[in-house]
Amino acid sequence: MTDAASGAAERSVQVKLVLLGEAAVGKSSVVLRFVSDEFQANKEPTIGAAFLTQKCRLEDRVLRYEIWDTAGQERFHSLAPMYYRNAQAAVVVYDVTKATSLEKAKTWVKELQRQANPNIVIALVGNKVDLVQPSQPSSDSVAVDAEDEADDATATPGENAGSTSGEAESLRQVPREEAEAYAQEAGLLFFETSAKTGEGIVEVFTEIAKKIPIDQILASTRGNAGRGGAAGGRAGAGQEGGVNLQENTNKARDACSC
Amino acid sequence: MATISTHLRNFKEPTREQLTQLFFALPPDVPAGEHARGAGEQEKAKAGEQVERMEINAVLSLGVQGIEDSYAGKLHLLPPYLAFASLDRKSVRFTIPLCTIRRVERLNARAGIYALSLSLWHGMKIVVQLTSLRPTADLFCSLLRDALKAELQRGQMKVVKGFVKTCYSEVLVAESDEKDGAKPPEAPASEQESMYLGGLGLKFKFPGDPKKLREASKTKLWTTYLKMHGRNLTLLRYPQCTRLVQVGLPNRLRGEMWETLSGSLYLRFAYPGRYERILEENAGRTSTSTEEIEKDLHRSLPEYSAYQSEQGIGSLRRVLQAYSFKNPETGYCQAMNILAAAILIYMSEEQAFWLLEVICDRLLPGYYSPSMHGTLLDQRVFESLVQRCLPIIHDHFQQVDVQLSVASLPWFLSLFINSMPMVFAFRIIDCFFCMGPKVLFQVGLAILKINGEQLLQIQDDGGFLNLMRDYFTRLGESAHPNSTDPRARAITRFQELLLVSFREFAVITDDTILSERRKYRSEIVHSIETFSKRSSVRNLKSLGRFTKEQAGFIYDALFKAVCVEPPPAVSLPPPSLLTTKDGQEERPETRIGLRTFRVFLSEIATWARDEKIVSNGFQQRVDREVADHEMIDRLFFFWDTSIRGTLSFQDLVSGLDGVMFNDLMENIEWFFNLHDKNKDGYLTKDEVLTLSESLLFIFRFEVGDAYLGAVSRFMSNAFEYGDALLPRPEGANPEDPPPHIESNQPYMNLATFRMVVLADEILESFFETDFSSTFRLEPVPLMDLPSSNNGILGGLWQNIATDDNRKLLYKVSDEIGRTIGKHQVYHRPAIGKYTALEEPKARESLIMPTMRRSASKTSLTATDSSASLSSATLATSAPSTLSVEKQASTDVSSVEYSPMPTMFQAAAQAAAYMERTPFAIDDAKDIEDSEEEDLDVEDDGVMDEVDAFLEAHDSGLTEAEREIAKALINAEPVNG
Repeated sequence: MTDAASGAAERSVQVKLVLLGEAAVGKSSVVLRFVSDEFQANKEPTIGAAFLTQKCRLEDRVLRYEIWDTAGQERFHSLAPMYYRNAQAAVVVYDVTKATSLEKAKTWVKELQRQANPNIVIALVGNKVDLVQPSQPSSDSVAVDAEDEADDATATPGENAGSTSGEAESLRQVPREEAEAYAQEAGLLFFETSAKTGEGIVEVFTEIAKKIPIDQILASTRGNAGRGGAAGGRAGAGQEGGVNLQENTNKARDACSC
Repeated sequence: MATISTHLRNFKEPTREQLTQLFFALPPDVPAGEHARGAGEQEKAKAGEQVERMEINAVLSLGVQGIEDSYAGKLHLLPPYLAFASLDRKSVRFTIPLCTIRRVERLNARAGIYALSLSLWHGMKIVVQLTSLRPTADLFCSLLRDALKAELQRGQMKVVKGFVKTCYSEVLVAESDEKDGAKPPEAPASEQESMYLGGLGLKFKFPGDPKKLREASKTKLWTTYLKMHGRNLTLLRYPQCTRLVQVGLPNRLRGEMWETLSGSLYLRFAYPGRYERILEENAGRTSTSTEEIEKDLHRSLPEYSAYQSEQGIGSLRRVLQAYSFKNPETGYCQAMNILAAAILIYMSEEQAFWLLEVICDRLLPGYYSPSMHGTLLDQRVFESLVQRCLPIIHDHFQQVDVQLSVASLPWFLSLFINSMPMVFAFRIIDCFFCMGPKVLFQVGLAILKINGEQLLQIQDDGGFLNLMRDYFTRLGESAHPNSTDPRARAITRFQELLLVSFREFAVITDDTILSERRKYRSEIVHSIETFSKRSSVRNLKSLGRFTKEQAGFIYDALFKAVCVEPPPAVSLPPPSLLTTKDGQEERPETRIGLRTFRVFLSEIATWARDEKIVSNGFQQRVDREVADHEMIDRLFFFWDTSIRGTLSFQDLVSGLDGVMFNDLMENIEWFFNLHDKNKDGYLTKDEVLTLSESLLFIFRFEVGDAYLGAVSRFMSNAFEYGDALLPRPEGANPEDPPPHIESNQPYMNLATFRMVVLADEILESFFETDFSSTFRLEPVPLMDLPSSNNGILGGLWQNIATDDNRKLLYKVSDEIGRTIGKHQVYHRPAIGKYTALEEPKARESLIMPTMRRSASKTSLTATDSSASLSSATLATSAPSTLSVEKQASTDVSSVEYSPMPTMFQAAAQAAAYMERTPFAIDDAKDIEDSEEEDLDVEDDGVMDEVDAFLEAHDSGLTEAEREIAKALINAEPVNG
């Protein structure tokens, strides 16, 4: 066991992470900011789910996030289990300027806690805080850029316009305290972010990384190449002899695809 | 998210006629009501209905000089269309509107050959030989003549010329004619050019390099084909047509060919101006769909220049909105924006609108619906096809726990448009419109097969997706880069893909898809329903004291009620309401009205249903009907705490929670509140009476008079205590009659009510346990799912086993049962406490004395009360010995009954009992008066009262009861 762990410290640990939340809260923008630190003004809506990867260094370990960015439209809801099964982490996003989006986020949290991997690490993320903050003088140039980029393509037109400091707080529909209290009660990590300014984004993924039981994943990785615990039994059962071989292919794949 | 959708259950396999219609891509029959818009359309619909349909064996001859080719098949007269399909259903086919036919001639050929020559408006001739027997052929011809006449009368013949001007193919043909100098075009080419409809590509350029795509030569080939075999409305599809489609349609012709091949052209032809009208009529309207559309407009093929302009965005918006207005149940689903954006490059808005309709409605049914059941179903079908055709890959995926759908779902949902480079996706779409949805499966299988070796290396979903992504980006490369043969090197990976799709997976036919869909439909429906049940239960704000399983039962009852009695469609609240909501739009939620509520309650509360136990010698069954009583309506409004006139799942759960866990005091209070309409803490006299009626309603099928007595006592006590406790003026003589209180004025408070209830043992036990126990959360026997049987027998049984037929069967067996004297019906009581023989003592002490006394008083009621008493021994399966004993011990006067089979006797008595007029209070005054007289007689007096009542209402029926009983004496006992 310890051998495996120390040996594996060299290679990356795969963490499957799923993004959930109401449509237009900026899930894709959060991922895009994290993965490539950029915005794409008009990103195509996610059909089913988009798949992205990003490496993340944590102390002596390298985490390789496999991010499933799911479609937000209500009717895609029934497809979500396909994406969150075996996920080790979930980021549930809501929009601080839209109270209903927190309600939706809560239903996602409930669903995850009941249906998903029991050890799943869930982070609740209130996005679009830039809309409710007084614009900072230092970031003037950024603000200009952000104007054409828009927070994300799905932002409602009115919201971007009114972000002057006076009206800013009034746009907020979800008080930080309320969401934070809920997160604490439900045992979630909590963040407020802005994919537009990049505020808080990296922290989300770093904190998740800290909370993920990496050793456990590594242990289960030995048997079945990166699957979560749930799949472990099934795949691992009848193929004791194939372990080495699988580990080899695993390494090879990591080398080429990252 | 408590939306309950039952439409999945309403699915019916298409009939043979519908399948024919689907095959020929005809516009669906429009129900008369929906037609409405414009008198012209209505007339057309009528004209279409008058003419009969017919099909006939025929041989189609290629009417081109030099080529002798003929195809046997069937000619269908489907007014206003004429259609032909060769026997294999794919080599040759056409669907042409009758109004394009200008002349029909019987050909003067050799004897014994019956051939027709149809001349179309542009001079093309179709020669068909009718190979059926002469009379059949004659009939066909006369029907064809009638149908043509009808079209002429509708003035459709004149419409054709105007319509075809919108088609680019006419321009192509006219230009070519001009070049050949064959005949001068009717109008200058320039004028025609401005007429034809085209997509954004005309202005913003089409994707791909025209040279590489060999546009010029493709266009030339098509021009020749269209000249020879017809175009747009009159296209005849020969094998060459499919081959031409497979090499890719030329850009300018693409939109029109999509229309023609998919059949959306016929819709556009049949409903001119409809698109504009929909937009006009709904101008300025907003809905959830329009909001969702707005969000996605700038995210639909954003790399294509038109969608960076207002023109492109505007078109896209209008098409998607028009579709959502026309199909509010589907509304808008992400992925439709990508489809619409893609087809708008090649076609006008109106064309795109109708094509979208055909895609969503016919080609990919249910893909974009709120439950996306079509998508899920086809994913399941695809998986099963992979298992069958590529078992090694399937096994590997199973082993490493990779889900096919993570990659394949977007392929199907957006027709590969956002999976592979657009130029390639459009070529697959060409084939899709030409050959139908099976193409998606064939291409999907081919993708997996070509990548088979690498797929066996992948270990997880991510690896699978990366591999697919990588493959798609390299579709333009050579498939055999290392081949020495330059021709092999020239084959691209995309060409290889099509080749594998249509060669190796030609086995996947339309029928394969249809039968696979049939096979998995119920599985999918079941999983969707389970999913929505789970999430509805999970999303309840409060479960109350219910367990999740119990809440599930409530959901099942609600679901069943919604199936039986669908709630009215959710109408959009007026805009003013929306704006005051302050952006906090409500999620769509299923709310039920009173009618649905009655069905719902009948599933849960035993008193909310009328259950007749019917035995007719062949079977014993329970016929359940939904009860209808003011009390149920009252409960509905009682639970409607937000006063919306409808109840949600949460309302029902909370409502039931408020009544099912109550103890004695809580139940009494609950019942009091239910009847205290203005919630002032007092019941009026009227309300006291209503309350009694509610009790009587609940007790209506109870066996024995105990409950009637209890209610009667309740009333007398209520008015006695009520009067006694009324506030008197200072110094008034307590002996004086109480002050007069209007029947609608506050009269009795909760404390008094409680006292009155507790004064009676039966009512006490009713409120303590019996009432709560009438609410039963049990698994609801769900109705039959759409059958998963395939094969003729399965379908046949499905047709037979409809509810109507079952009812008919019951009726017949009842009739027979009646003639042989074995038909009996009795009601199942709501509480049924006294049907068993558990507590004879308690009953004895409670009722027997009064019964005896009253029996002795009037000889007439004696038989009656004893009959009801012994019917109290009735249980659906009462042990015979016990009930005989019972009869002996109570010393019943009707001794002559005792030798007969107990069950019959009991049933007969029950039957007689149930036929009695329900105990109801018509005039409160009477009771009040009599109450005053009998004040100190207590129970006895009450029983007299009841007896008198029963006597008045029952004397005639005792005879009837006897009759029945006598008839039954001679009947044979039921076995089993």
